[in-house]
Amino acid sequence: MDNITLAQGIVKAAALLGAGMCMGMGALGPGIGEGFVAGKACEGIARSPENASLITRTMLVGQAVSESTGIYSLVIALLLIFST
Amino acid sequence: MELSVEYIRIAAYLGAGISVGLGAITTGIGSGIIAGEGAYGVMKQPQANDQLFRTMLIGQAAAQTAGIFALVISMLLIYGGFDIAEGGWYRAAALLSAGLAMGIGALGPSLGAGYSGGEACKSVARMPKHGNAIMGNMLIGQALSQTSAIFALVVSLLLLYSVPNQPAGLAIGKILLKSISLIGAGMVIGIGTIGPGAGIGYVAGKANDMIGRFPKERSMIMRTMFLGAAVSESTAIYSLVVAFLLIFAV
Repeated sequence: MDNITLAQGIVKAAALLGAGMCMGMGALGPGIGEGFVAGKACEGIARSPENASLITRTMLVGQAVSESTGIYSLVIALLLIFST
Repeated sequence: MELSVEYIRIAAYLGAGISVGLGAITTGIGSGIIAGEGAYGVMKQPQANDQLFRTMLIGQAAAQTAGIFALVISMLLIYGGFDIAEGGWYRAAALLSAGLAMGIGALGPSLGAGYSGGEACKSVARMPKHGNAIMGNMLIGQALSQTSAIFALVVSLLLLYSVPNQPAGLAIGKILLKSISLIGAGMVIGIGTIGPGAGIGYVAGKANDMIGRFPKERSMIMRTMFLGAAVSESTAIYSLVVAFLLIFAV
């Protein structure tokens, strides 16, 4: 990274800026969504503790699907950082 | 005014980050709403667990569509080989704009699909024996609200593949005008689909709720849903027309 021109430096900076925006904004939605799932699941388990295992399973599978866009963001951020 | 290839790469990388970053926001929220209502529904009707689980997973898959579109556009921006110096400012503006269009354009449709799926899970938990009718309506409603995301995808792909290279020897004013209008095309379809996508999702969510409560009125409810969704969709179509004009007629 020592001998690069100004233009190459700016490209790298743009890729790093893009990676930061990508992962930052991309973490917003999955975080809120998964928190909503866990909140509803807690409410459900509090009201009917005998179904706790079923509710936990539904919660975990649902959260895994919600997580997928966060993982997309992570993939794009890593690509922007390491392969540009 | 010449432009080196590095500046086109700057636009492509920023566009790739914006696209999947913005696209992931409401896709995550929407899938979370569906899963939350699914988990809550299991508490209310443990014996309808399988049906709820199926509705939740199918609903989440449909709500993820716009996020996957954003991922595809990001990958194309990074690896599509669009960074050629002959493209000039036109190409740089088009690449940034493609990322903006798909990123902002995914916001409304995923939120709408999430609300629709959440109401469907609630409704299935209330009336498990009408689960299939509710799930069918949920899928139709989510497809209607994802239409606007497809508009954004079409505009993104047009910006990637059909913007001409910048001709040599143009005046700077002309270059500026065309580049700004390309960025405007991405923003108009992105922002213009937030409302229709979210609004149609609200229509579909209420329809799911009411089909669960009054299954006999199903055809009437679906007719009203289609009519309302078509009227909501109109502003997305206006945005699409304006985006086409900005790309091809300026």
